Amino acid sequence: MAKKQNSLKPQTSAVVKLSKADHAFSIGVDIIMAFFLIVIAIPLWSTIMLSLRPSTFIGSYLQGMVLPPWKWSFAAYRSLLGNNGFLLAFWNSVRILIGGVACALVLNIPLAYGLSVRGLPGKKWLTILIVIPYVFNVGMVPTYIMVAKFGLTNHLASVYLPVAINTYNLLIMRSFFEGIPNELRESASIDGCNEVQTLIRIILPLSKAIILTIGLFYGVNFWNNYFNPMLYLSKDYLRPLPILLRNILIGASMNEFVEARAFSDAPVEAIKAASVFMSAIPMVIAYPFIQKYFTKGTLLGSVKG
Amino acid sequence: MEQQNFKVKKNMWKEVKRFSSVYALIVIPVIFYIVMKYTPLWNAQIAFRDFKSVRYGIVGSPFVGMKNFSEFFHSYYFWPLIRNTLMYSFGKLLISLPLSIVLAITIYECRHRWLSKTVQTLAYLPHFLSWVIMYGILLALLAPGDGVVNDLIKLAGGKPVDFLTNSTAFPWIVILSDAWKEMGWSAIIFIAALMGIDVSLFEAAMVEGASSWQRVKYITLPSIRPVIVTVLLLKIGTIMEAGFNQIFMLYSPAVYNVGDIIDTWVYRQGLLDGRFGLATAAGLFKGVIGMLLVFTSNYFSKKVTENSLF
Repeated sequence: MAKKQNSLKPQTSAVVKLSKADHAFSIGVDIIMAFFLIVIAIPLWSTIMLSLRPSTFIGSYLQGMVLPPWKWSFAAYRSLLGNNGFLLAFWNSVRILIGGVACALVLNIPLAYGLSVRGLPGKKWLTILIVIPYVFNVGMVPTYIMVAKFGLTNHLASVYLPVAINTYNLLIMRSFFEGIPNELRESASIDGCNEVQTLIRIILPLSKAIILTIGLFYGVNFWNNYFNPMLYLSKDYLRPLPILLRNILIGASMNEFVEARAFSDAPVEAIKAASVFMSAIPMVIAYPFIQKYFTKGTLLGSVKG
Repeated sequence: MEQQNFKVKKNMWKEVKRFSSVYALIVIPVIFYIVMKYTPLWNAQIAFRDFKSVRYGIVGSPFVGMKNFSEFFHSYYFWPLIRNTLMYSFGKLLISLPLSIVLAITIYECRHRWLSKTVQTLAYLPHFLSWVIMYGILLALLAPGDGVVNDLIKLAGGKPVDFLTNSTAFPWIVILSDAWKEMGWSAIIFIAALMGIDVSLFEAAMVEGASSWQRVKYITLPSIRPVIVTVLLLKIGTIMEAGFNQIFMLYSPAVYNVGDIIDTWVYRQGLLDGRFGLATAAGLFKGVIGMLLVFTSNYFSKKVTENSLF
């Protein structure tokens, strides 16, 4: 008789009657769980509801949080999507995301693979060479000077090139490749594959989980990065979403939306909240698809780098 | 003897040749890595120079020895910066680590699978939101005149607080918002450790009449203790990182006295005021301390739990 598993914890087969204390315990667990659920959900919920608030709304934020669906207003979203500045910023962010992730994968996969090859002469020295800058972080000014000297300023690449190889992610990937049985590589080389062919034909098809996970890590990092664009991109037409969002939230860029507001009746708070939500959307959409992979990816990194 | 040496060398060359395609594969990434990571290391020498602008170059700037360092150490800001940096990193560690352990155990113990799964999914999500987005969310929650929290305070008969510009509230906002954002993500490793516990231990305990709470206390917690110790030690290794991206986004001149950490100070001195040498010296100081901490914590982690970064 197969019993349906209810919790993550494997259920025991021992038949033991639950005592009162055990019942109290499981109720306590449920209460803590409900507490976590509420604490995590409320900030997200309040932001979403704020973005849907119509300008005719009168009342407190608390009342705004239980606004019934027939009173929701999408005016804030309409005014954002109708605003060229917003669309341009979104497009810049997409370009940074695509360019950055492509660059990161093209650099990280071969390097991580090379570092995982058994018996590679000089591997120890190469690893030391890679770990030194990771352990000894000299801070933001020397990096800023480098980007300025390389003439990367006011190129979208300045956002992702300096961080296109994250040592931690690289080491996670290397551990994954090291875990692939060596026999597979040997048999490939006996069949006459060189290393590039082995990587493409044997290793990559087995590494979907890690590539998606690491790709997601880089993608999130590039999409969310506001500091590099702030330092390196001074031209308005290069402004990515996090910078626009920051300006909207601080109020510096609100003037641009005055015009937009003439066409819509969304309150300023709703526009702010809607732009918060819109900036989060790509991450929120990608996340459930990759969720099953990343647990594996993060765990690998925590065991041995 | 000499002949043997020669033989080894020859074999080595043969080996290198055998792996030539691997070297070909990694040569571009390695050069890229060296350029991107070692140029800043080379540039860091401006900590010992009077560097005014990129135009004069690094080597062209006059050498001033430890002047920048002594200016930083003797400045009025030095101790407040150290205090704030440590306050935030230890505060986050003390609040977030227990919270993520409790979250992991609750998710593991909960008998309603849908509830576990929902909380798990929701709890990971904020990790993927940027601090700019978090700032927007915090504004909706904590906005001075209104906002959800101030509405609650007003309902309870209190006076609304401007949390983000109040020096008493600000450190709590920083620590708690970080806990909110990262506790789910930090719980992953504990959840995985919990899944690895042998069920027969629980069965035996049940037969012996142990209550649920006793099982948590004597089986669950001891089983994940090595993981907790590892995480704790590795976090101590990064104690100089108080969370630049977060604090930079949330702070304002009104809370500089409690909000300023080494990194934010380095940013304002170096990149806003153009005092490159001084700011780099401060960054280098932080880097050296950070490196020593990483090596120490890694050493202990290896010794205590056999888990380590390297």
